[in-house]
Amino acid sequence: MWTEFGCRGLKRLALTGAAALLLGAAGAGAQVSPQGAPQAPNGQAPAAPGSFGPLQGPPLTPVEKLVTELPAPMPGGLIPVPPLTADAPIPATDPHDLQGTWYHNQALAFRMQRDMYGNLAPYTMEGAKVLARRVNSLKDGAPYINASATCRPPGPQWQHDLNMPFQILQSKDWIEFVFEEYHGRWQVILDPAKVPRPTQKAYMGYSVGHWTGDTLVVESSDFKQALWLDVDGTPLSANGKLIQRIRKVDNDDHAPYLEIITTIVDPAYYMRPWSVVRTFGWQPRLTVFNEYNCEEQIGDPSVNPDAGLLPEPQD
Amino acid sequence: MMKSHPHQRIGTLVAAALVAVGILASAAAQSAPSNLEGVWKIVAPTKTLKPVSGSVPFTAQGRKQYEENKRLQAKGAYDDYDITLSRCNSPGVPRLMMTPERFKIWQRFGVVTFDFEWNRALRQIDASGQPPREDMLGRGLVPTMTGTSKGHWEGDTLVAETTNLSDRTLLDDLVPHTQDIKVIEHLRLVDPDTLEDRITIDDPAYFQRPWDAVLTYKRQPAAVFPEDVCLDRLEAHQAILPPR
Repeated sequence: MWTEFGCRGLKRLALTGAAALLLGAAGAGAQVSPQGAPQAPNGQAPAAPGSFGPLQGPPLTPVEKLVTELPAPMPGGLIPVPPLTADAPIPATDPHDLQGTWYHNQALAFRMQRDMYGNLAPYTMEGAKVLARRVNSLKDGAPYINASATCRPPGPQWQHDLNMPFQILQSKDWIEFVFEEYHGRWQVILDPAKVPRPTQKAYMGYSVGHWTGDTLVVESSDFKQALWLDVDGTPLSANGKLIQRIRKVDNDDHAPYLEIITTIVDPAYYMRPWSVVRTFGWQPRLTVFNEYNCEEQIGDPSVNPDAGLLPEPQD
Repeated sequence: MMKSHPHQRIGTLVAAALVAVGILASAAAQSAPSNLEGVWKIVAPTKTLKPVSGSVPFTAQGRKQYEENKRLQAKGAYDDYDITLSRCNSPGVPRLMMTPERFKIWQRFGVVTFDFEWNRALRQIDASGQPPREDMLGRGLVPTMTGTSKGHWEGDTLVAETTNLSDRTLLDDLVPHTQDIKVIEHLRLVDPDTLEDRITIDDPAYFQRPWDAVLTYKRQPAAVFPEDVCLDRLEAHQAILPPR
């Protein structure tokens, strides 16, 4: 079963276990919006109770039709963690010190599909086709090879977008994110003169950050290969770019969190940049990671190194 | 938000030293009896975990498995005895401490994390004294390559005991162990730039008595490790653990 479904299948089983399914999923592709509830793809607000239904808007474009008619993503959940105790360590007061251990505090989203305001992602037809191809491949029981399934670093977006904690360590010249999942590492260079662009492209790309006020702005590019931004394969081409704005938030409610707004910039697949938001609660008690050793299965010479998945057609 | 502690005043001097090696200090790191943080590299790379005296005190059973591993090595049947070489499997504890590339140590909330340049591997020693995190998926029931490492400080020495180790790893490139093994380490700074790991192997099924080995590391300049993906090297038929 392991090689048949690959890492992605196993993750779905784990993440949609009893604990995850019991939790209120945020909804297929919907995300927390500063303005409130998600909007319909035609930009109209959902119908109020007792009304005659939503106002008629323009018909869906071919791209919108293609994407909205895809099978819905599996509902994301969250394995719960106990609330912080009164004696738990607290984050540094310095807003430029992001160090600590962080873990999702909202239900996961297996397919982004909508931006942080609830609008449908601005796919180009090429982007919509790639997404549709990937989603339908899973529905058809013939999923495609991807970094996660082959125990490779999945890129900065997917790396922090699954149900496992990560630590942040900082020096004056760089910031390191270390993840339980894939025993991953994401390095954000603050002083490129000290850490120049490597000659070989990396799966995690090359990420350069700077502070704008209390927000760390990170630009990642130079990816070794095209990325899947999420479990369902929201695409980013190898020439795409991610801009992540990271800040610490403390509302004096003993539940500080990290907010990461990711802007996806990829003219090949999206008509314009668009953003999603994720938040991660402060969880010092999750500093001891579970072991993640996908090499034991993927590296097994007696099985297909592609975890039984199929090569994806090239655009 | 961060409360003032007496340790933080003492820690100012420590913080200055840490900044010199490029690590931003935290209250958690400052409060440990000793600070092992930094980038380290083994002084004398070796494939073999050598006892401090004499030879490995195998039992008959241990010797038998060792000789079998040698036979399989001679045949090149690596996946039958060394899945690190054949699959990029984590080398586990203590073999990770013998990888020839660098590793970083940092200490946060009482947890000592080792982040290896080799394949981005991780191991951790929990010296926090806190109860283990909840295990809803029952992962703790299965032995792992790096096991479960509990630590405490004795003076300036971090004493770590690792159990629950999978028997799919080797202690080095040949020496086997069972799932009942206990690995005890005494980690300390011999001087500010020298780290020592005294390793005690206790596995009665394979060894007649506990035996010690010592590994020594030198501090390296702070650095960003390049991305190492062992599976890519495996696919390209390159060395998994570089030749010494």
